[in-house]
Amino acid sequence: MLAIDHGPDGTVVVAGRLDAAQAPVAQAFLDRVQGAVTLECSRLEYISSAGLGVLLKTQKRLLASGGKLRLSGVSRHLQDIFGYSGFDQLFEIEPAE
Amino acid sequence: MNARARQRQLSARDMRAILEVTSALAAPFDLMTMLGEVVAAAKQVLGAERGSVWLRDPATDELVLEVATGMRQVRVQSGVGLVGACALARGIINVPDCYADPRFDPSVDKASGYRTRCMLTLPLIDHKDVLVGVMQVLNKIDGVFDADDEVLAAALAAQCAVALQRVRMTEVLIEGEKMHQALQMAREVQMSTLPATMPRLPGYDLCGTSKPAELTGGDTFDLAQFEQGLLVVLGDATGHGIAPALSVTQMQAMLRIAFRLGADLDSAFKQVNNQLAETLPADRFITAFIGILDPATHRLRFHSGGQGPILHYQAADGTCAFYKPTSFPLGAMPLSALKSGVTLQMLPGDILILLSDGFYEYRDAAGEQFGARRVQDIVTACRDRTMAELLNLLMQAVDTFAQGAPQEDDMTAVLVKRGMAVAAQRAFKRSFDSLPGIVAFTAEVFARERIDLGLLQSVDFALEELFTNMVKYSATSPAEVHIEITQVDGGVEVTLTDYDVDPFDVTKAPEIDVDLPIEQRRPGGLGLHLIRRLLDSIEYEYIKQNRQSRITFRKTRAQPPAPDGTVNPGEK
Repeated sequence: MLAIDHGPDGTVVVAGRLDAAQAPVAQAFLDRVQGAVTLECSRLEYISSAGLGVLLKTQKRLLASGGKLRLSGVSRHLQDIFGYSGFDQLFEIEPAE
Repeated sequence: MNARARQRQLSARDMRAILEVTSALAAPFDLMTMLGEVVAAAKQVLGAERGSVWLRDPATDELVLEVATGMRQVRVQSGVGLVGACALARGIINVPDCYADPRFDPSVDKASGYRTRCMLTLPLIDHKDVLVGVMQVLNKIDGVFDADDEVLAAALAAQCAVALQRVRMTEVLIEGEKMHQALQMAREVQMSTLPATMPRLPGYDLCGTSKPAELTGGDTFDLAQFEQGLLVVLGDATGHGIAPALSVTQMQAMLRIAFRLGADLDSAFKQVNNQLAETLPADRFITAFIGILDPATHRLRFHSGGQGPILHYQAADGTCAFYKPTSFPLGAMPLSALKSGVTLQMLPGDILILLSDGFYEYRDAAGEQFGARRVQDIVTACRDRTMAELLNLLMQAVDTFAQGAPQEDDMTAVLVKRGMAVAAQRAFKRSFDSLPGIVAFTAEVFARERIDLGLLQSVDFALEELFTNMVKYSATSPAEVHIEITQVDGGVEVTLTDYDVDPFDVTKAPEIDVDLPIEQRRPGGLGLHLIRRLLDSIEYEYIKQNRQSRITFRKTRAQPPAPDGTVNPGEK
C-alpha cells in the first residue's frame, strides 16, 4: 500500500510501495503540487520503474514552471535504485540520516 | 399476455417452418447477417409484411434497433413504448390495432410513410434466461395476428435468441483471436528488428538475445558493424507489452540510422535522447546502454542512460568491474551537455556483460532477486565457454533459481568477449643460432601482453628443448620453424610448427626413470622428461598432407606440475 500526503513541515510525505499499481494514486496527488517541493521518502519502502515515471513526470512539470522536486530521507537502497537508473542526475537527493 | 399460459400445440406445418428457420439460423457468424435471417424467418413463418429486431444494450438497459427494413437506428429505454413494455414484462404483446394503443409511437410511420396496422412484439430470451432483445413483426398479410401466431412466434423467438447469443459469443472469440494475431504480427515485426545472426568480428565472440515476458517486449538489443566500429546496444523501456515495444523499436531504428549516417557516439546518444524526450509521454523513458567498440584498439566507449549494472569481466586478474550509468534514462529529459562517456579496454579474454533488469531482478517464490552477485559468479566460473554457451548457462541458472516463479519482466542479454587471440607469431631459421632470437621473442611478447613473467623461464626452457630437437632430428629441412604464442586464461599456449619433416611424437618418447642408480641411466630423454614436469600439458599433431609437425604446450600459473605427469598424447 501507498500513503502520500502533505507533512506538517510543508513537505510531501510518501510511505509504502510506489509500484505500478500505486503509481496513479501518487501521480494524482503530485499533479496538484506546485513550486519547490520536497518529497520526504524515509518511509518509502519500494519504488518501481512506474514509480520513477511518476517522479519524472512531476519533475518535468515543476521545472517547466520554475519549481522543482527534491527528494529527502532517501534510504541506501533507494539511493542505489536512483544511482543505477541515472535518476540521481535528475533530482537533488538528500540521503537519510 | 404470457406465452407460457398458452397450451396450444404447434401444428406439423408450423414445426416444419420452425425447423427450417433453425437450420437457416445455424449458418451465419456475423451479427448483421444473423439479424437479417431472423427478420426474414419471422416474416415468412408468421406471414408478416415487415419485421425488426431490437437488441438490448446491457450497459444502458436500452433497446437498440439494429436492423429494420426502411428505418433508421433508434434507441428506447426499457419500459418505454411497446418495445420497452415488452422488454420489461418479458412477454408477448399482440396489438391488433396500433393506432388505438397509447403505447404505440406513430412518429416512425410518419417518417417512413408506411402505415402499421397490427403488430406482434415478443421478447428474445436466451437459454440462460437473459433478455437479449425484442423482435417486432408488423402487418399480418391477411388480417391480424391470432393466438396461433403467438405460439409460433414464441417458439421462433426462442430459436432466434439462442442464435443471436451464439453470434455474439463468436464475435467476442473472433475479436480475441484477431487481437492475438495482431500481437503475434507485432512480435514478428519487433523480433525482425533484432539481429538474426551475430555479426562476425575477428577476435571477438558476440551473442545477444531477448526473451519478452509478454508477446511483445519492452527490451531491445543490437550488435551491428558500422564504420565507427561495432555498435553495442541494450535497451529497456518502462513497462512491457505493446507500448514500450514501440518505444524501444523506435530508439533502435534511430540509433541505426544515426550511425549509418556517420554520427559519433556522443552526438548519436544526445540526439536520440532529445528526440525521444520530445516524443515520449512525460512519464516514459528508456534505459539504454549504447557503446561503440573499436576492433583495432579494442577500446569500447559507451554512454549508459540509466542502464546498469554494466559488468566488465577482466581476464587479467579474474575480477569483475561494475559500472554505473553515465546519464539518466533516454527520453527522460533533453540533454544540453553530455558528460564524456566511459572507455573500457577490452584485453584478451575480457567479457562485457549487459543484462536487462529482467535478469537481475528475477524473483524466486520467496521474493529474493537473482542479483548481480550470481551473474558475476557464473561469468567467472564459465569465462572459457563460448558466449552462446554462457548465455544459456545464465538462462538456466535463472530458471533453477526461480523454481517455477514466473518471468515478470523481459530478459535481454548482450555478451561481448574478446577472444584469447594470438599474441604473436614469428618464424625462426632451423639452426642453433636462432636460440637467442627465440628467447628475445618470448621476453618481448610477455612484456607487451603483460603475461606473468614467472612463467617465462619454463616457457623458454620448453621452447629451447623442443626447438633443439627439431634442429637435431630434421636438420635437412630448409623450412623455418614457426612459433606462435597465444594468451590463455592465466598463462600462455605456445605452438611450434615444423614443416616438411617426418613424424616424431615427443609425447610418446619413453618415460625415463630418474630414480635409477647412475649405472643404469641412459643419456637422452631428460629434456622431454623435464618439459612434461614443467608444463600443464603438451600435445603433438602430425599432418600428413604437408608433412607438418605441430607441438602445442600450455603453461599457466594455476597448475603446478603434477607428480605423475600430465602428458596429453597427440590426438591425430
